[in-house]
Amino acid sequence: MEIISFQNISKRFKLPHEKKNTLKEYLFFVAKSKSYEELWALRQIDFSVKKGEFISFIGANGSGKSTLLKLISKVYLPTAGKIRVGGTIAPFLELGVGFQYDLSVKDNVYLYGATLGLSRDKINGIFDTIVDFARLGKYIDQKVKNLSTGMEVRLAFSIAAHADADILLVDEVLAVGDQIFQQKCFDLFARFKKEGKTIIFVSHDLGIVEKFSDKVGWINNGGLEIMDQPEKVIRIYAKAL
Amino acid sequence: MNFHQSANLAAELIRTDFKLRYHGSYLGYLWSFLKPLMMFGVLYVVFSKFLRIDYPDYPFHLFLGIILWNFFAEATTGAMSSIIEKGGLIKKIYFPREIIVFSSVAVSFVVLISNLAVFGIFYLFADLAFDLNMLLFLLYLLQLCVVTLGVAFFLSALYPKLRDLFHIWQVLLQVGFWATPITYILQIVPQKYTTLIMANPLAGIINNSRLALINHQFPDVGSFLYTLAAGVILLASGYFLFFRRAPFFAEEV
Repeated sequence: MEIISFQNISKRFKLPHEKKNTLKEYLFFVAKSKSYEELWALRQIDFSVKKGEFISFIGANGSGKSTLLKLISKVYLPTAGKIRVGGTIAPFLELGVGFQYDLSVKDNVYLYGATLGLSRDKINGIFDTIVDFARLGKYIDQKVKNLSTGMEVRLAFSIAAHADADILLVDEVLAVGDQIFQQKCFDLFARFKKEGKTIIFVSHDLGIVEKFSDKVGWINNGGLEIMDQPEKVIRIYAKAL
Repeated sequence: MNFHQSANLAAELIRTDFKLRYHGSYLGYLWSFLKPLMMFGVLYVVFSKFLRIDYPDYPFHLFLGIILWNFFAEATTGAMSSIIEKGGLIKKIYFPREIIVFSSVAVSFVVLISNLAVFGIFYLFADLAFDLNMLLFLLYLLQLCVVTLGVAFFLSALYPKLRDLFHIWQVLLQVGFWATPITYILQIVPQKYTTLIMANPLAGIINNSRLALINHQFPDVGSFLYTLAAGVILLASGYFLFFRRAPFFAEEV
């Protein structure tokens, strides 16, 4: 059963040459018809994901991997094409930190959980699991601004991972966490696969990608170069480097 | 997100806003009461003692005007910047963006209710009578919320793209404060200006609220209907614009 399908998806960003946000700038630049550059972050992407699959996307920085995840999560709207998503999503994007820094870890868990659609009762039930997974039991009343970067990322990922969504989007979680956290993530991925959850994974760690993925997509310059068995894609990708 | 989840997120955002608003301040929530009271004190001295406005129950008219206007001013200003303030969340996760605007206005509404409670206490101490006309105030309060929410949607939809709006709005609020019967009473305005003043929906709301709570009179039906229509049009068009702009917020903030 298809849970995600991308049909001919393109995403264009308009990048202003100089950010034009005030009225004066609008008035002055009205004569110049095009004071921005068009960037096609993704071009004609087609793929589909079946329920329960672990899909990874690899590619250089700026190739469009994160944009792709943001399109799946509806944070961005595609410029062209049709996206279908048949399940709830827990996104962990760009290190997933949308925290309120002046609030405590505890308050942030409830707020972030609410954005994922979790009620207070629901969060009460999984609060300890979230905090234990992030290893922040001692810090629940600390303000988030006093946490280290690694701790913050662990917390954000832990909330998303325990939201019990059908699809988990994971963008570069392993880059910041320590060894213990990485191991916990691996255990979690294994468990999710068993539970039939769908995971979309973005990483530069080809070893991990090969180990967990059912399929791998290589995004090159905004285009989906190839999407196939992990060994095959990684071999082609490594050769192209 | 279903309705239940949206309501839960709104509650969580309101809680967050309250915590952040008074975070690190000693007087905290007390500021919500102190601000309108101080404004009232200054304006009362100027208009009642210096300019000698001598209208029955003038302090009540003035205070009620101030707290209703302050709600509108604070709610619209807060809602305008709320999208930028919550930019971190907007870039990371999808949820209906209107919940942000709605909770921002709701925070100001809680402040309004507590200020109305202060007004109620003054009321008890004065020898003002109670009657059924006062219940009409609830209708005007609803009108005020509709108008405020409509303007809030307009501003928050445009602000991420047009940052001048903040300053433009501050100037318009300043003009609005004097163009609305707050420090003065509609009934003392020369006839030829009343139509112009009543074109502003807030003028009708404040005037009718004063009639109901202080003068115990039935409302001015014409301005009631006008405000109702204006509010519905504002809210519908504001929300439509917001709905059109919201998918691009993640790229604009």
